[in-house]
Amino acid sequence: MIERHPSTERLRSFSRAELSRHQNREVVRHLLTGCERCARSLAAYAPPGIGVARTGPSPHDYDGVFAKARQAFLWSQHEHLEEQRNAPSLLAALEDHPFDRQVLLLMNSRKFWTWPLCCLLLDRSHELGFRDPGRAVDFARLGVRLSEQLSVESYGDTRVADLRARSWGTLANAQRIASDLRASDQSFLRAERLLRKGTGDPLEKARVLLLKASLHGDQRRFPEAIKGLDRVLAIGRRHGDDSLAAKALVKKGMVFGTSGRTDEAIDCLREGLRGIDPKSDPRLAVAAHHNLIVYLIEGGQLQEAVALLDATRPLYEEMGDRMNLIRLQWLEGKIAQSRGRLSEAEALFRSVGTALAEQGLGYDAALLALDLAGVYARQGRTEEMRALAAEMLPSFQSREVHREALAALIVFQKAAKMDRVTLGLVHELSDYLRQCRKTPGVRLRDSV
Amino acid sequence: MRHFEIPPEDAEDILQDAQLTLLYKWEQIRSPESWLVGTLKKKCIMYWRKRRSSLCDAVDTAILDLVATPVAPDQEKAELSFDLNRVLGNLSARCRSLLKLRYGLGYGPSEVAEQMGYRLSSIRKVTNRCLAALTRQLVAVGFHREPEGD
Repeated sequence: MIERHPSTERLRSFSRAELSRHQNREVVRHLLTGCERCARSLAAYAPPGIGVARTGPSPHDYDGVFAKARQAFLWSQHEHLEEQRNAPSLLAALEDHPFDRQVLLLMNSRKFWTWPLCCLLLDRSHELGFRDPGRAVDFARLGVRLSEQLSVESYGDTRVADLRARSWGTLANAQRIASDLRASDQSFLRAERLLRKGTGDPLEKARVLLLKASLHGDQRRFPEAIKGLDRVLAIGRRHGDDSLAAKALVKKGMVFGTSGRTDEAIDCLREGLRGIDPKSDPRLAVAAHHNLIVYLIEGGQLQEAVALLDATRPLYEEMGDRMNLIRLQWLEGKIAQSRGRLSEAEALFRSVGTALAEQGLGYDAALLALDLAGVYARQGRTEEMRALAAEMLPSFQSREVHREALAALIVFQKAAKMDRVTLGLVHELSDYLRQCRKTPGVRLRDSV
Repeated sequence: MRHFEIPPEDAEDILQDAQLTLLYKWEQIRSPESWLVGTLKKKCIMYWRKRRSSLCDAVDTAILDLVATPVAPDQEKAELSFDLNRVLGNLSARCRSLLKLRYGLGYGPSEVAEQMGYRLSSIRKVTNRCLAALTRQLVAVGFHREPEGD
């Protein structure tokens, strides 16, 4: 047994670990005898690092490989384009029904089980985001359910795992926006587990990390958020994805801003903006500019904030999104306030307040009222301050607002009644309410 | 592909798999060309890493089977022991000790870790390195290389 040399074919199969246990044992026993001939023969098939390093041109011809791959690609592309064409009508057919019925349809009808429809559902969830967080969660849930129905035979198990991870990541983000941070945490865990079963595509991983950084920011876990964003930045740069790198920088700027590191926030946002093409990503461009202007105002760089606002105004208007236009006016009010043009600031804040109330955005309306209170405090208009405080509390009580935020407003109302509202108190309450929005349970400083 | 010398029959799978992923993720990928090149490179590296690890596992399993065969005649046992020691003799002292514990005394990973003063968490990595050194010796045993494995 030992003396008989294994055939070249058997040695080749051995190098690929394709032999049965018994055949394997025979080959290894033979090699242990030190057979130079078989060792040499095996070295030609063995992987680099085990076999002998080869020199000279590759012994393989890849022309056939590329021709076959091209043919297979064209066939897959044809099928994929067909599915892409059908996806919008399938989405429209789903959208006619309430959520429970949508789930039933998805689970029971195979025609819905396509990759492009899953992507459309996730895109829809992303679009709805802040506009309608409840529906954004529903669409992401549908995406998750659909991704679980996708055929691993048709799409490939690792690719399906990637899409499932993306679906859970989208759901986690929608849950974060809907302030369900605990559920968001759990969904991110699912997304990360699925990524480990996926293709290993670093860009896919970066997308989940990017969304998770927002959760960490909301949870005030700033170091973790920054660490995650640095990884996204590195992946984006390594893969020549400027847009991804810019997103990471913009988000990093926002995290720095929320954590009170205004100078670093401004630096990151400036750098991030350089990599954003407003034509291809206008929403991100507006968000980045908006936050940069806010931090410039906070950092006392009024002149630059005004210049940037003027330059960005067309972008806000081009977007035409009602919320963005309200935010633009709010910024203009803040700038007027910082420049001491208090009547102009008051008029702008009042107009924004009306618009926010129309949109049913009570929390934002309260934050805005505090900006207005800042104007009154500077003018010493105690009567208006009392009236404003009296208006704010019922508006908050009628909505779902954290009890900590309500307590803060009661502090404000009492201070207004006693004519003890100062600019410092207004700023402190405003900061506190911004934190409370995302992290219920944050304590209002004892001094307040 | 040419650079990594992937056998054509496997190169076909690698290329088609990467192309399909690109097709499905087309809208999310900003720079398809660099994505495809990067992905193919990674897949080629992973391909050889997997092949190396499967080969080392096959060698390990075969030797464990050989030393555990209960009915082997004495002469056969002595020859196996001689051949194995000769190959192990070309490895570093560390790998020689580790593999002697594994094959000679039938120690499991936790016992090897304890005997050699390694943490259990790192013994797998050290064992894999020694198995790779052993496999290299089997492939190159006729060439009388210097001791390796460190």
